[in-house]
Amino acid sequence: MNTAGSVCRRIVVVGNGIAGVTAAHTLREAGFDGELTIVGDEPHPAYSRPALSKALLLEEAGLTSHHLPAPTHGATELMGLTVSGLDLDTRCVLLDGGEGLPYDRLVVASGSRARRLSTLPGEVTLRGLDDALYLRERLASVSSVIVVGGGPLGMEIASACRAGGCEVTLVSQGMPLVQQLGVHLAGILTRAALDRGLAIVESAGAVLEASADGMVRVVVAEGGALEADLVVSAVGDVANTEWLASTGLSAPDGIHVDTRGLARPDVAAVGDVAVMPTPYGRRRIPLWTSAIEQAKTAAAALLLGEAASPLELRPYFWTEQFGLTLKAAGRLPVSGDPEYVEGGPGAGLMRWPEAAVALNYRIPIPRLRRLSVAAA
Amino acid sequence: MRIELDRPRCEGHGLCEEAAPSLMHLDDEGELVIDRADVGESEAALAHAAVRVCPVAALRIA
Repeated sequence: MNTAGSVCRRIVVVGNGIAGVTAAHTLREAGFDGELTIVGDEPHPAYSRPALSKALLLEEAGLTSHHLPAPTHGATELMGLTVSGLDLDTRCVLLDGGEGLPYDRLVVASGSRARRLSTLPGEVTLRGLDDALYLRERLASVSSVIVVGGGPLGMEIASACRAGGCEVTLVSQGMPLVQQLGVHLAGILTRAALDRGLAIVESAGAVLEASADGMVRVVVAEGGALEADLVVSAVGDVANTEWLASTGLSAPDGIHVDTRGLARPDVAAVGDVAVMPTPYGRRRIPLWTSAIEQAKTAAAALLLGEAASPLELRPYFWTEQFGLTLKAAGRLPVSGDPEYVEGGPGAGLMRWPEAAVALNYRIPIPRLRRLSVAAA
Repeated sequence: MRIELDRPRCEGHGLCEEAAPSLMHLDDEGELVIDRADVGESEAALAHAAVRVCPVAALRIA
């Protein structure tokens, strides 16, 4: 295939998460029939990351809620391998161990990792499948848990720990979820959490320290320390860009790309690692549907260049916690009170000027999207 | 090829409907309805796109 002025026979995808896998499928569907290679640092087949902090933590048996359909892209899959570098001039991805993977086009989908508050091994985080399986195992034998971080992930973990019968304390900077969802929705979810027995400690900052008995304790800025059998932090994620340090492609917040997901004509960056232009500034959007839309856009752009369509960003977010399922289309956080299109507090369909939200209310996403736009 | 739904897994996100509205939709109760389970070659890409976008793998191609 001859694209963007040069021959394209070999494409390498670094990252086997949903962004990398979607890019690979899209390349095939767009007609790329050359050599396709996917490198993944986990030994597992691609899985659904949203499921890890939701169904997988609660599942009784089977442990299948994170499974995805088998890929059909026919790529050579190199699993359990770490990439250590990239040479843009010779177009070669360097694998840990010294081997090189030459490419004509490259998809960077190396994702992100959990941000940590300490280097203590007792600080548990949830990012990958192995993390989730470890957390499940620990939850079976502990009776008290502290979760540090009041975002959606922290709240989902807290919810699963409560459902598993643990005493759970959530340490949050202000009311949980306010930064992500706004006061109205955060209030609804926080009330549900309190009703189900979650203890919330609002603190301007928390530090993790080793306690005398080898456990981790949480010291809050206002004074005082909290202890529990298990400490989990959920304080954001950091883009995996170290392997690109010498290329000039990486910025402190990730790989900056254009509206088609390209960092340069022969390199795309998609998913959690990519910083893209949005109407609200350049940012990473580490969410499921965002990863898929970015990957589709960028894969087409790698083959077609500027003839490919730019990304049409259509944010979709969902969370399940404390008996509530919230689905949101449009711009979050929302400010002020909503108009109820259907139902009411507890279960209904809400609308703000740039967003529509369904709470314990099943609705097709296309309709939710239409509502979020119609209201604007 | 045939699209199969594992109904207990479906959470009603409807991302599949968005990917392939000619093949499936969520009804008024938010339950997924596969309008055409048997799809030909011409719609294979649509069917695959719908299956792959599901975050809970409720759909599969048999």
